[in-house]
Amino acid sequence: MTAPFTEDLRGRIADIVARYPERRAALLPVLHLVQKERGFIGPEDEIAVARVCGLRPVEVREALTFYTMFRRRPAGRHVLQVCTNLSCTLRGGERILDHIRMTLGIEPGRTTPDGRITLVEVECLGACDHGPCLMIDDVLHGELTGDKVEALLREISRP
Amino acid sequence: MAKIEIDGRTVEAADGSTVLAAAERAGISIPHFCHHPNLAPEGTCRMCVVEIAGAVKLEPSCATIVREGMKIVTASPRIADARRSVLELLLADHPIDCPICDKAGECRLQDYCRDYGLSESAFGENKTRREKLFRIGDRLLLDRERCVLCTRCVRFLRDVAKTGELGVFERGGRTEIGIFEGIPVSDGYSGNLVDLCPVGAITDTAFRFKTRTWFLEPKPSVCPYCARGCLVDVDIHPGFARHPETGGILRVRPRPDATPAGPWICDIGRYAWIETESRRVRRIVWNKEDREAVLSGDRAFALLGARLRALAETGKGDRLTLVLHSGLTNEEWTDVAEFLGEFAGRPRVRIADPVEDDGDGFLRTSERTPNRRGAAASGVEILPFHPEDDCPHTDLLIVFAGIRGHLDFLERCRPAWSGIAAKALVSPVLTAADRDFDFVFPCAIPYEKSGSYINCDGRRLEFSAVRPAPDEVKAEGEILRLLRAEVRRTAEGR
Amino acid sequence: MSEKNLTRFFATAAPRALEDYLRTGGYEAARKALSSMTPAAVMEEVKGANLRGRGGAGFPAGVKWGFVPKSGEGPRYLCVNADEGEPGTFKDRYLLAHDPHLLLEGIILAGYAVGIRRAFVYIRGEYEELARRLEEAVSEAASRGLLGENILGSGYSLSVCVHRGAGAYICGEETALLESLEGFRGQPRLKPPFPAAVGLFGKPTVINNVETLTNLPGIVLHGAEWFLGLGKLGDGGTRLYGVSGSVVRPGVYELRVGARLRDIIFTHAGGMLPGRILKAVIPGGMSSTILGPDEIDVAMDCESLAAAGSMMGSAGIIVIDDSVPMLTVLDRITKFYAHESCGQCTPCRVGTSWIRKVVQRMMSGERRPDDLDTLVRLAGMMKGRTFCPFGDAAAGPVLGLIEKFRSELEG
Repeated sequence: MTAPFTEDLRGRIADIVARYPERRAALLPVLHLVQKERGFIGPEDEIAVARVCGLRPVEVREALTFYTMFRRRPAGRHVLQVCTNLSCTLRGGERILDHIRMTLGIEPGRTTPDGRITLVEVECLGACDHGPCLMIDDVLHGELTGDKVEALLREISRP
Repeated sequence: MAKIEIDGRTVEAADGSTVLAAAERAGISIPHFCHHPNLAPEGTCRMCVVEIAGAVKLEPSCATIVREGMKIVTASPRIADARRSVLELLLADHPIDCPICDKAGECRLQDYCRDYGLSESAFGENKTRREKLFRIGDRLLLDRERCVLCTRCVRFLRDVAKTGELGVFERGGRTEIGIFEGIPVSDGYSGNLVDLCPVGAITDTAFRFKTRTWFLEPKPSVCPYCARGCLVDVDIHPGFARHPETGGILRVRPRPDATPAGPWICDIGRYAWIETESRRVRRIVWNKEDREAVLSGDRAFALLGARLRALAETGKGDRLTLVLHSGLTNEEWTDVAEFLGEFAGRPRVRIADPVEDDGDGFLRTSERTPNRRGAAASGVEILPFHPEDDCPHTDLLIVFAGIRGHLDFLERCRPAWSGIAAKALVSPVLTAADRDFDFVFPCAIPYEKSGSYINCDGRRLEFSAVRPAPDEVKAEGEILRLLRAEVRRTAEGR
Repeated sequence: MSEKNLTRFFATAAPRALEDYLRTGGYEAARKALSSMTPAAVMEEVKGANLRGRGGAGFPAGVKWGFVPKSGEGPRYLCVNADEGEPGTFKDRYLLAHDPHLLLEGIILAGYAVGIRRAFVYIRGEYEELARRLEEAVSEAASRGLLGENILGSGYSLSVCVHRGAGAYICGEETALLESLEGFRGQPRLKPPFPAAVGLFGKPTVINNVETLTNLPGIVLHGAEWFLGLGKLGDGGTRLYGVSGSVVRPGVYELRVGARLRDIIFTHAGGMLPGRILKAVIPGGMSSTILGPDEIDVAMDCESLAAAGSMMGSAGIIVIDDSVPMLTVLDRITKFYAHESCGQCTPCRVGTSWIRKVVQRMMSGERRPDDLDTLVRLAGMMKGRTFCPFGDAAAGPVLGLIEKFRSELEG
């Protein structure tokens, strides 16, 4: 049973909805906001968002499952998104991913047992000249080397 | 109107119509999955592609509006190749379920594969396994492996039924149809999804595995469950020679011209017959004291006829009460009038119909009978049945219960009519009140009748029996004619 | 020679503050247009400059604007396509990071020309920080009367709303962008009707790429002739050529349209990484057809690349060296398109996933003699047969790769 939206959150959602000529257009920004607050978007949130945007819950789910940035399940404290597209691969991206997989002991799509890190493979992040790249949450890191990755992982593995 | 050329022929097409619709009107069928004449153009299955002079690519005919002078080719090697590709791609992940799939024989994928000569698949990878028994509604199962993602089901619920329970989830090769848990497809128009689905992805638990479609003979009729009068096909299985019990009604579906709003019927029209069929009265029953005897038709009509004769000859017609319903056909009201003509004193003619509700805002009317207008136009003087008022003045009560069973109504009447000397019930289905009556005559269901209704729009809808009524079962009109003959016979004989 | 036009100030701290932007002539074009030019005059100038869209399709912006009905009631919208998702492309990131006001000024000019009062910037979800910067720039500009109501006292008003996507490459396609903005799945729409007639919320809408819009201040200030003169005949201005892959200096290089691919790679981007030899180049983002080492003398303009059997696309140059198996390149390409297919039409939905299955099997080592022929056949089923150009984008690279590197792939 998720907690209902706080008054603050509802206020921020209302601000977003007010920006658009049609309520439905607020869907993606509202989902981003809810995910930022909750860490993911569960079925009760889908229902609440549906109400706010004048939609049916199934329509919220249609969007939720279409867009890869939305999570339907809780993620780790940090989400590690590794680019495995062509330019990053050309700069050694596969090795970086392998390194991370082996260090964390998990496959892409999974979260470390201690709940700290979720590892995700993503497509092009639009920073190909800095490849190989990854994003930790909303921060981009480029020109990755084994050492740099080690340092980053240590940083986010801290309790 | 626009003058266009299709396959070398010049035809007139209505302004704003699509190439596909114009072709259909010109007698040219273009294959399609996602297109439906009652849904907005989708253009995603890519099966309906045609060549249009001046266009580099093949264009989807379902989504291309005609223009004056447009030159269209609907069949060519290039088009056949494109359509064959679509089929081959659809078959890639499609399970080889034909031997067990209900849709076989009515399946567009099957039909087009035959038309375009596909018999082998070049797909050499592992088929994606998906959920095959996903429940999307009380009666509906979705087989995601069979689904070709035409989205007709989603669009119908969203744009026609306006309930929108189905959605399209995920994307790319992982796309699938689904519901939000706890919000399944509601009863209302859910059965239309089975018709709409061009393959066997959406199936009906009421029909699953019952038969092969090619054994069924569709017989046209008119739905009797409300005043809309949707045109239906009643699918009859003739019964296998050595297993005649396999015969019967197996399915009711809307005809292509079912209603002005489209080829739809509501779930009541589609499924209510099932319950009726399971409770059919098949024999004439005589409740003598505490015993129940089965009577032959001759004997039963003779016995009841004798009582009717007694009333007619003593001028006590006004002690006869007939309780009828608005499911009688126009022709049966003539039988009613002629029956009444045998009685000098005026019998009470009463109507007891199922209680009206609000209708559903779409096809189902608030009236739950098909021919109230026919009753009103019959010239027979009819009043609503009030058991407390009518029963004390009745020596002989004949109740014609319609297909709705009127269980509630019958329950309420039991105290009122318990004092009546002689009672006969004419009913298609078994009811709890059967034992109250001296005679229980089995009644035909409306599909077993020929006749006409006047629907809520004032249209006269004619229909023929889809099959003869079984055993001793007779339609109301026929029963009245036989009873009238009984009343007349002895009088003439005298 | 590089011509610093859009990237003039990239070396300074990012993002450029409004003060700095104003100091170097910022919002002068907006001032000029709003005070001394009619909307029609602005549109004529842009038409005359033949500014081709920089998002990937290369359609002339002025012509696109001209499709919007001149008269008519009701709102019309400008959507800025900042959904930069084409692999190998990162130029818009630079523009957004360094010079958000340049984009805003371009938005004002486009809005003014077409009679638009509301603009939405659809920015890919992953550019969260850049979206924040852009919103700050919008507030900043509005607080100085450079955006919002009555811009520069001209009577013209334009509001800008920043709207984040959520991880779907297909939303870079115009009509999918509109669908996504409206709160739907990002599935492309049937055309016709075209967005200029029926677009966002059913109203006339112009959709322009970020880089396209950043060219407008220059065109308005210096004129169509100046712009045309920077490039090749008909294909004017400069482009932000992005170079990535096995080169010494990956990055964005602003050059006159028509610069030679060889020069971009070997002069500007510093050539191949030590010890590596150039094996192939993708010139215009992943969706463009790959070129072999003997094809890199091509001029990087729309016509020349089309004539070479490829396309300018998003000018995202990906350089591949001889240490990379072409099968790996095929693997990355097919993985991308299978992941990003919206799934609504049969050929793309099934085609991309069937192709993916074949390539995954090949990558696992289980090869069959007819694999490449199967891939060619499947790509052929998509090319020209899908609901939207994504199918061509998914098919072209596969066909090009197999055509030019068959013997290596067969190996």
